Amino acid sequence: MIGRLFLLIATLLVLHAAFSTYEHLSHLKSLGKPEGSLPYDIILEAIIGLTMGIFGASMNASPLKEVTWSSEMKTRSIDEMDARLGFANYVNRGRNFLS
Amino acid sequence: MAAASLPSALQSLANYRAHNTRVSQEVVEKGKLLLKAKSASKLGDDAWAFLEQLALAAIDVAKYEVADECLRLLAAKFPDSPRVDVLSGIRMEATQPPEIALKFYDELLEKDSSNAAICKRRISVLIRTGKVEQAVLELSEYLDTFYSDVEGWVELAELYSSCHQYTFATQALSHALLLAPQNPFYVLQFAETAYTADDIPLAVKMFMLCLDIVDKHTSEESIPTGVSIRAWYGVKLCCRALSGRSCSSASDTPLPKNLNLLDELATERILTAYSAAGKDNATIRELVLTWMGPSDRSGGRVHFVR
Repeated sequence: MIGRLFLLIATLLVLHAAFSTYEHLSHLKSLGKPEGSLPYDIILEAIIGLTMGIFGASMNASPLKEVTWSSEMKTRSIDEMDARLGFANYVNRGRNFLS
Repeated sequence: MAAASLPSALQSLANYRAHNTRVSQEVVEKGKLLLKAKSASKLGDDAWAFLEQLALAAIDVAKYEVADECLRLLAAKFPDSPRVDVLSGIRMEATQPPEIALKFYDELLEKDSSNAAICKRRISVLIRTGKVEQAVLELSEYLDTFYSDVEGWVELAELYSSCHQYTFATQALSHALLLAPQNPFYVLQFAETAYTADDIPLAVKMFMLCLDIVDKHTSEESIPTGVSIRAWYGVKLCCRALSGRSCSSASDTPLPKNLNLLDELATERILTAYSAAGKDNATIRELVLTWMGPSDRSGGRVHFVR
């Protein structure tokens, strides 16, 4: 839940920084000096948004799955391995008492 | 009730397909529900695999009308498919005498000699009717062509074992091990076949290899379950055999060093598995302790994990 909260805040911060940048650049353009640098607080806001987004995404990630063969083999059973379905025999005693 | 259980039925059927479980009665019951709903569009891509599974399960429990219905649907969708041919062959095997089924398979093989599934069905019919020698010959020929079929090698090993030719069985299993080196079940089968073939040093080596594969990432304090318990029993039996008599190895495998330590370790691991708290476990544990023998019970270095 905290992860999603962080992600939400990070998204809002980044969007706000983007909008502020747009406003600032249009302000500079209207003043006639289009080459000014961005104010520090917008940059800081963007970087904070990035950091929070990284934390939020890491916290929001699904639980890690096992990658080793031995953990995969622990989920299988010996019956699965002995099944040999290509050679399976479908003519058995079942017909005498099941149908 | 039917609407709610449809997705869960689909889910469990997909699970059975993934794990090769052969619970044919249940599959037929669930499958009949799904067939009656006749929602082929809702089943989606899995519909055809489900129909195949249902057909095989129905033949298994001799509900031939259900099987015929599934076959009809599949043949309508996939007219000239080799997989549908295999299904019709299996349906034929169930009601017709084996010679007719063999003739049907021969005709299909004449048309297309690379149909691996039909070769396997032929071999299965031969095994069922008791013609083991011919089955072994044909299976060896089949495996010459389709070397990477692990199922075929394991089946060949089972065939040899059923005729008590355990060394040939180990040879077949060694090919299976080459093809699926990460699978501890085949290593366990190899070890047990080697033990039956009286090659105890090879057996103990393969039991320990199996334990290495299975328990590679588990801690020392964990309780053995499943394959590990079976492999530890194997190690214990081999240690008993090795300390009781002198064993020669047909495959020239050297004996393990520190046989006593290995024996103690195997004893401790097996007793740990049965040491969980509980009323049933107490009686089983007593049985296991009796089987272990008096000399192992009071080993000073044996410790039990509760």
